[in-house]
Amino acid sequence: MKLDLSFIWTALIQLLSAIPTTLVITAVSVTIGFIIGLITALLRIYRIPILSQIAVGYVTFIRGTPMLTHLLLIYFGLPMLLDALSAQFGWSFKSSSIPMIGFAFISFSITAGAYMAEVIRSGLLAVNRGQLEAAYSVGMTTPQALRRIVFPQALAVSLPNLSNSVIGMLHGSTLVFTVSVVDINAKAQIVASTNWKFFEAYLAAAVIFWGLTLLIERVTAVIEKRINLYNRGGVA
Amino acid sequence: MGAPFDITYVIGYLPKLLSTLGMTLLIVGGSLLVGIVVGFLIALPRLYRIPVLNTLARVYVSFFRGTPILIQLFLFYYGLPEILKLAHLDISRAPVLVFVIITYGLHTGAFMSETIRASVSAVDRGQVEAAYAVGMTSYQAFTRIVLPQAMAIAVPVFSNLIIALLKDTSLAFSLGVMEMTGKAQTLGSLTQHFIEAYISLALIYLVVSLTLEKLLFVAERRLLRHEQSDDAEHRRFRLQRKNSYRRMVASIDSGKGGAEA
Repeated sequence: MKLDLSFIWTALIQLLSAIPTTLVITAVSVTIGFIIGLITALLRIYRIPILSQIAVGYVTFIRGTPMLTHLLLIYFGLPMLLDALSAQFGWSFKSSSIPMIGFAFISFSITAGAYMAEVIRSGLLAVNRGQLEAAYSVGMTTPQALRRIVFPQALAVSLPNLSNSVIGMLHGSTLVFTVSVVDINAKAQIVASTNWKFFEAYLAAAVIFWGLTLLIERVTAVIEKRINLYNRGGVA
Repeated sequence: MGAPFDITYVIGYLPKLLSTLGMTLLIVGGSLLVGIVVGFLIALPRLYRIPVLNTLARVYVSFFRGTPILIQLFLFYYGLPEILKLAHLDISRAPVLVFVIITYGLHTGAFMSETIRASVSAVDRGQVEAAYAVGMTSYQAFTRIVLPQAMAIAVPVFSNLIIALLKDTSLAFSLGVMEMTGKAQTLGSLTQHFIEAYISLALIYLVVSLTLEKLLFVAERRLLRHEQSDDAEHRRFRLQRKNSYRRMVASIDSGKGGAEA
């Protein structure tokens, strides 16, 4: 085998320029996904009539279909819908003005939202009901009780799962090559296409992803330690 | 982009896509088999703490959990023939499907080993001790006592894994395997009715994963028979079933089934 070690290094250097794209996609989808997930989880926990059924349907659909189909559906469906709407109402909006990465943001946020919803819901359900009752009994309102008492505890419980979701979205962001956004994966392909050293290029990409994943796991471990301080038990 | 939306195409595409469902399920089944074998091979050194193999297994799991499946697909597709050439094995002419199944198998194996490890450690230590006390060998204790109980604990996570694997197979098209996603793309580009093709694709995936979930739920019920004996009479008096230790352990996900693909 003629493994070109020096090319792995060259590829690694070139791939560094694509890391921000990957991280931006991950960060945006995780942030918006968290907000969507929180709303969806609250709708389901408080059993708000019609909306909670919609939330169940949303979570079931997204979790039952591959992330790739969400991206493709948004990529092909959204422009169609928007163009039809702007033709109807005479907006000057053109779907072609949406940048490619915008489709990735929208579809990955929707995907992340459904997964986050389940993570957040299980976290909220794990908080003892007595905590909420205690908060009410000292006179807090529901938003106060949620924000000050329930959410911090739920966050601590669901942190490992949240970090798994973040890692999942980081890995999922490789799919953007289908809508021609250049992330680490697509960049590896481009780098290798000049000399056909695909193996070396993907090896470099794998190393970067591995590093990023380990970094996320480390950071989570540190946050987890910090956030679970209250929970150490004992007397001191 | 493409032709105007026409709902009849969604229905028309369903049978065409269903004809490639076999390929998708073949990938799922094949890699599941590889994954179970690999998962056990990786989990055992870690469970019995065999010195060097233990570390190797950890690196293996970390790598497969730390890199996207898409990268792994390309890596094995381009790399495996080169590596095997060292052993004078020429597989560069092997069908792409083989690479796909091997990659998904190794990928699933990493997650599977974590599940196996977690569920075996969740079986009460006293069970093994009791097995030894009645004179079983360590092999007997493992296969007769630990494994059946561990399996019951593992099933929920296992079912997540299978569904995640099903969804991951949608990436096999990137190597040119004609499974459902690839077929949907071909159909779309033939007729320019992309969105209809992807809607039917999503519908099929949804139905298949819901069916798998139901089937595995039945399997879980069956495996947990021994725990349910006094449940029926208690249920009336409890609003919510108390979470058993088993359930808690089962909900400790191996991390798969997250938002990947």
